[in-house]
Order: sequence, then C-alpha cells, then structure tokens
Amino acid sequence: MQRFINILGVVVIAGLASVGVAAAASLGIGTGQLAAGNAAVTGCTSSSLTATRNVDNSGNVTQVNVQAVPQACAGEIVAVTLENSAHASLGSASAIVGACTGGCTVPVTGFGTVSAANVTAYALSLTQ
Amino acid sequence: MRRFRLTPFRLAAAILAASFASAGVAYAANLGLSSSKLHAWSQTLTKGTCNQTSATADDTYVQQASPNSTAGATDTNLTIGGAAGSQDYAFIRFDLSGCGLPTTAGADNATLTLTVTTKSNDTISLFPVYSGWSSSTLSWNGLGGLTIGPTATTAFVPSNPGALTVTVTADVDAAIKAGTLWGWELRDTSGTAVATVGSSENNAAGKRPSMTLSYEQ
Repeated sequence: MQRFINILGVVVIAGLASVGVAAAASLGIGTGQLAAGNAAVTGCTSSSLTATRNVDNSGNVTQVNVQAVPQACAGEIVAVTLENSAHASLGSASAIVGACTGGCTVPVTGFGTVSAANVTAYALSLTQ
Repeated sequence: MRRFRLTPFRLAAAILAASFASAGVAYAANLGLSSSKLHAWSQTLTKGTCNQTSATADDTYVQQASPNSTAGATDTNLTIGGAAGSQDYAFIRFDLSGCGLPTTAGADNATLTLTVTTKSNDTISLFPVYSGWSSSTLSWNGLGGLTIGPTATTAFVPSNPGALTVTVTADVDAAIKAGTLWGWELRDTSGTAVATVGSSENNAAGKRPSMTLSYEQ
C-alpha cells in the first residue's frame, strides 16, 4: 500500500508540474525582462525618441510622427498617447514599425478628434 | 541515510503546493505579464504665441493686364479679381524667423486677419505657396516659377468692408516643419468682381495684414 501511495504521489506531482510548465509556455511567460516608466531595457533602442504631429485646418491632430526609430525596431509596436496638462489621455493610437533604411519615421494615426492646443505631452512606447 | 516516506499527509501538502504554483502562473498571465520587452518614455511640449504684424509681412498683387509690372512695394491695397484676361492675384506671407521655432514645432492655431477696403460678393480662395517670392520682383509673368498648392486651404467672401479673419492653421503648421512660410495666393474663384484688402503699406496700421500664431515645440 505504501509503495502504491509513493508511486501515485510522484505521478501526481510530476503531472502538476508539467501542467504548470505547459501553461507558462502557452501563456508566453519566460525569463524575459519587463520595465515601465522612463527606464530603458534591452531592446531595439534605449533612446527617448522624439515625435512631431500634424494638424488639420481646425487644429485637430491628424497624425503623430515618431522620428528616428532604429531599423532594429522593425516589426515592433509603437504606441502614442496624447496627454493634457493633467496627464490625462486625450486619445491613443499605435502602429507597427515598418522596414526602412536608417532611422524610420513612423506615422501613427487614429486619435479621434483631439485639439492640438490641448495636448501638452506625448506618452510613447515601443513593445516587442 | 533516512528513507523518505510519502505519507498521505505529505502527498496532500505536495498537491496543495503544486496547485498554488499553477494558480500563480495563471494569475501572472491574467495581469498581462509576458516576456515582451517594453521601452516607454514621454515628451513634454512647450506652448507659446508669436503674432505677426505688417512689420514681418510681405505682400503684393500681380496683374494679368500688366504682366511685367510689380505693384507690391508701394500700393496701399491689394487687388483681387477681375474679368477674364485682366485677373489680379494677391500674395501675402509672414517671416516667422523671429519666432525661433525649430522644424519639429507645430502650429496649434493660426488665423490671418485682413481688412476689406473694397467689397465684392465673389469668393476669394487662399492657395498655399511653397516656393520663394518677393514683392519687389513678383509679376504675372513670374507666376510660372512659383509652386502653388492645387487645393485652396480656405475661402472667404469680402461682402462687407472691415476686418475679417480666416483660419490657416494647417498651412502654417506645414510651413513651420518646412522651415519657411511662403504664404498664400489670394484668387477670385467665383466671378469677375474686384475686391481689395489693405496691404502692409496701408497708411492705417489697423488695415494691414496680420496673423496670430499659437504654437507648440
């Protein structure tokens, strides 16, 4: 009886461990690095890139251009949030960095109707 | 060496520990944690104004009936319109170099103020100019050397004498990014009447062209 319990215990623990590993793998959880805020982590760039924006004749933002994105960032997602003076979001949009030679200018569109006069900051991110 | 005995109690504890581990994995996934790398930063914008007066303006008009003449240096009004074969086009620009804006800056809002000195009921359209010109040299025959946008930015009807404003934000924003504002061509796009607006040489300072500019950088 004791031998049976021992074997059963080993099988059950091994099975649960396997399920855990499998779940972690399927969920993409590994040894990668995660950071937020202004901290730079290893990736395609550690620079704080600059952005400009275009407006229509009513003064609403039509496009944000993230400039000098390194070629190594091709395929990554660049996200832009337009913020007011209280750092509240006025609109967000994202785009995939395309392939280019040298530094890429990535146009990001789709912010809705946001008056440029109310935008006092851009919050930007690059994600693999 | 003492042999490890797996008792029912120990088995239950091991199963419980493994369950907590699995729950932890699921919870981490639920929080959106993954192996993706994220680089985040922010960019703060500075707001300002740089209003323009006749001191920073250049303007003129060209005459189809006098294709080699230059009228901008002295005339106190700019003529716009006229019958086919004798059209007049006006040109107005401002020198933004005194604003000290980099090409990464942009216009939040820009309005052009003109004073109608001779009214008409025709529509006058503003077309952006993308190449250099000077009131001392520009004539009708020189128009072919200019690069002018094919689409009007805005339009107005000078139906009453006095000041009127038109919004030119998109053109000024683009000009800041290009480095120079070459202004607008004002053209009658609906009829044959003649209208005039005060020029930068007008004796009354209040009738001269001006522009308000709110910007970010």
